[in-house]
Order: sequence, then structure tokens, then C-alpha cells
Amino acid sequence: MIATRLASSTLTIFILVTLVFFMAHLTPGGPAYSILGMKATAASVQQLNARLGLDAPIWKQYLIWWWHLFQGKLGYSYLLSRPVGSLLWQYEINTLVFYTVSIVLSTALSILLGLVQGVYFGYWPAKLIGGLQLAGYALPGFFVAAMLVLWFSVELHWLPASGISNLREVHPGVGSYAAHLVLPVVTVTILTVSGLSRYFGEAVHEELGKDYVRTARAKGVSFQAILFGHVIRNALRPLVTILGLSFPYIFTGGVIVESVFNYPGLGWLMWRSALSQDYPILIAIVLIIGVLTILGNLLADIVNGLLDPRASYE
Amino acid sequence: MSERALPGGGIAAGMPAAPLARIFGWLALRGTLATGLAISAAILFIGFVLPFLYPVDPFAIHPDHALQPPSLMFPLGTDELGRDELALMLSGGLATLVVALPSALLSFVVGVAYGLASGLGPAWLDRVLMRLLDAILALPSLIILIFFASLVTLNNTSLILLLGLIAWPSLARLVRNETIAQRGRDFVLATEQLGAGRIYIARVHLIRVMAPVLVVNGTFMVGDSVFAISGLSFLGLGVQPPQVSWGSMLESALDIVALDPWWLIIPPGLLIFGSLLAASLTGQGLLARYGGGR
Repeated sequence: MIATRLASSTLTIFILVTLVFFMAHLTPGGPAYSILGMKATAASVQQLNARLGLDAPIWKQYLIWWWHLFQGKLGYSYLLSRPVGSLLWQYEINTLVFYTVSIVLSTALSILLGLVQGVYFGYWPAKLIGGLQLAGYALPGFFVAAMLVLWFSVELHWLPASGISNLREVHPGVGSYAAHLVLPVVTVTILTVSGLSRYFGEAVHEELGKDYVRTARAKGVSFQAILFGHVIRNALRPLVTILGLSFPYIFTGGVIVESVFNYPGLGWLMWRSALSQDYPILIAIVLIIGVLTILGNLLADIVNGLLDPRASYE
Repeated sequence: MSERALPGGGIAAGMPAAPLARIFGWLALRGTLATGLAISAAILFIGFVLPFLYPVDPFAIHPDHALQPPSLMFPLGTDELGRDELALMLSGGLATLVVALPSALLSFVVGVAYGLASGLGPAWLDRVLMRLLDAILALPSLIILIFFASLVTLNNTSLILLLGLIAWPSLARLVRNETIAQRGRDFVLATEQLGAGRIYIARVHLIRVMAPVLVVNGTFMVGDSVFAISGLSFLGLGVQPPQVSWGSMLESALDIVALDPWWLIIPPGLLIFGSLLAASLTGQGLLARYGGGR
């Protein structure tokens, strides 16, 4: 099963890269301008285009595009005149830290809330959580972020509202980085938990209604032992799938959240590049996000296969 | 149901129903559709009717009343230029809805057409269209939106086209799956035997059978569309100045957040939240009543 999934993911990535190639062709300018600067003469642009193979027929350019991708060449930033690949690296690390903390926190919280919702299904704790999930589903990220900044930064002066560390310190400590992470992480967590906890809650509720739970209860196994020994493990499967699928949505939220908090991650870079029309960076980010999304789905399938070996034979 | 509600063999038994939970329970079960429709009506009223009932020029500048909290003269206060916030908010609502509603309709039509073509067409076409869909779905729609928004000149027409032509893939997949499920059913086969063409079957039978699915997901799409245009405007890539929208109002308020302008942040934020909540509740309510979602 993993082999078929791998093959179909490879095909999807192939189509995605082709789509992005055509998207890149829609952008004005081109690599020659980004290397020589926007004031380059037509003659020198033509010369460089010939050297880079950009005057070649489109099928040849398409092959060059693939060749460059295999070498890890993603083009040059128009504004910063640096190779996109090395430029993205720092932003990627910032985003990675931000998302890892957010995902760990929201998964833990979702498991907790979902457990309460599943066990107390039909009673007020579950209904309360259900109402909050419904509201949380409709909350736009920028509004959550704005309210958090208004309350915790402006009114209470508890937390910094923007940036990644205190600019006034020469060597900001871990505490400074952590303080700047709090509000962005809380925002993403609020956005993510409402959906995740709902899926987990429904899965727990469904598992609890299955025959093996009744059998175990009849044999005298305690409810806690069944819950923590079997039900949670089985209910985690849909959560893993949803986590894998939710990557693009977390990134979407990430663009807005990073822009509100001026957190220099990939989303922030994408936003700035879009405003300044720095297309090579935009193209590279679109490509990276697409590939990561497909890999996220694949990873979710593989982890599910490990959690439940039967899934691999289906 | 009652057995499933007591999985712990009494662990949850005897739990009292708190008043708050009763309200939530009522909202969640019976009133979802009614609440959703009521909020939708309120939003439409604010967007399309109130601007004419509150005839204050949103772009008139009162420099000596700049950045004032709500008062009798300015019911929702003024922004940093001294413009009436209530008038701005109403004009921003119109600007938001004028883009969001047509673009939702456009992506609905494109999604249904793509799904029907894939589900009813020959097998090779289905395979090609679905592979393409996989690749498009790998990109979060806001990412594609940001990319294309940086390419085109932004105005109402281009925004409607942009949003409308990007938000359809998930509906297309749903319609395609539903079409495949329905086309093997007896009444479709019988109609085919009587000599009906594919387009006739789609138009007369499939659309009707799928009506609940379409209505529910169309409702969700309106919410997605309001979110997309607000998010884009918030990022400066949507409705352009001098026009304002709820998203761009939030963005300009955040620029001066250090001055604590809560009256500039809460109203537009609540209205976007209200629009999304309205679409979500209406959709959930329709789903619960008529079924037909995923």
C-alpha cells in the first residue's frame, strides 16, 4: 500500500511542479532582470538569457527547470539579489520552531478536550466544548491575533506584540525568543484546536460504543484501563490523518499570524514578497508548501500504517 | 443512544444540566439553522440596507476629532484621520459582500461543472481531472490567492474572478464522488436506456438528487469567500484604498495598535466573525436537517 501511495504522491508532485512552472512563466521580469537589476539594457538581458537557456523553446526550458530543481537552484531574489535557496533557510527555521511548538500544544490540548467530549458525550461538559468549537471554527485568525495584541500587549503590557526577539538586546536570550512566540502560538492554537479536538472527540465517542469496550467491561476491566489502554490509541488514527491533512491550513493561518506579529517565518516572507512582487521567492515558497503538503499526507498514511498494521493490507 | 452516552458505566451519570450548557445544547441542536439564518439576515442588512439608512460620508475627514472613542456624534468613534468609523464600517461591509457573494457563486458554478464533467465523462478524463485536482489541492487556496493577487491589478472584477476561480476544487471533488455514486442507480440507468444524454441526466436528475449536498456546501463557500477577501484585504492584497473593507480596516487599526484603538478593532472583527459564524451555522443546520454533507 505504501508503494502505491508513494507512486501516486510522486505523480502529484510531478504535476504540481509542472503547474508551478507555468505559474512562474506568468510572472513579469524573469531571472535575467533579477541578476542584472531592473535597469539592465535589452542587449545584456538577451545575452544572459541566451547563456541561461531562457531563449530556448518552452519544452527545453521546462527540462532546464527540472534540472535546476534537482540542483536545488530556486532562482535569485529580485530585491535582495541573493539565491532564493539560501535566503529561505533562516525563515524556514523560524517557521519550523513556531509550527512545532504550536502543533505540539494544540495536539495535546485537542486530545484533552476531545477526551472530555467523548467520555461526557451528551452531558454539559461535552456540549460546552461543542459550542466553543463551533465558535472557534468561525474565528478569523487576524481577529484573534488583534484581540490578543490589544489585550495582552497594549492593555496589560505582559507580552511583546511583534518581532522574534528584543531588538534592543545585542544577544537576546532564550527568554526573549520564547516571550515573542507566546502570542503567535496561542493564536494558531486557538485556530487549530477547534477542528482537531472535534475530530478526536467524535473518534473517542465512536470507539467507546464498540463491542470490544463492552466485552472488556463485562470481563471486569476498569473503564480507565480501557480508555487509556485501548480507546485513545484507536482514536488517535483519525487525528493523525487530520494532522497530516491540516498542514496547508496551519500554513494558511501562519501567513496571516506571522504578518500580524511580524514574525520572520516563511509566511511572513511570502507576504512581503507578494507586496513587493519578488516572484522568485513567491514561486519557491509555493513549491515548498505544495511539496510539504503532499509529503504530510503521505507521512500521515505511513504513521497510520504503524498505528494499525491492518491498514497496510487494505 | 442512551447506552452510548454512558460509556463509563455511570462515570458520567447524574451530571446536572447547567443553564449555560442548556443554551449551548439548544443552539447546537434545534436553533442552529435559525440562528445562522438570523445572523445572515443581520449581516446582509448591515451590508446592503444600513449604508442607505445612515447617510454619513465615510470619507469625510474631521481632523479635530481624530481617533476618538465612541460618542454621541460618532457612534463607533473615529479613525486616525477623523473619519466616522460607523460609516466606514458600513461602506466596508458593502465592499466585502460585493466581492464575496459573486465570487462564491462563481466558484460554486465552476466546482459543480468540473465535478460533473469528471464524474460523467470518460474514465481517462476523470483520471486526468482528478490528478490535476490533487495537485491543486496540495496548495492552500490562500497561497495561490496571494501569488495571483501579486500579479494582477486589484479591483472588484479581478478580485471576484480571482477568488471565484480558486475556491472550487474541494466542491468539485465532492460533486464528482457524488456523481459516481449516483450514476449507477436504477433511475439514472433507466433514463440512459430511454436515450437521455449525459447533459440531460446531469441537468434533470443529478443536480436534483445532489441538491442537499450542493446547498450545504454552497453555504460553506460563502463563508470561505468572506474569509478569503477579508484575509487578502488584511494582507493589503484585496480591496484597495481608497475603498475600505472589514479586513483592511482591521489592518489599518493594527498599524496604530499601540494607541489602544479598541473601537477600531472590535466592530469589523466581530462582523467578519459574524459572517463566518452565520455561514457555518446555516450550513451545519441545513446539514443536520437535510443531510448530504461529508
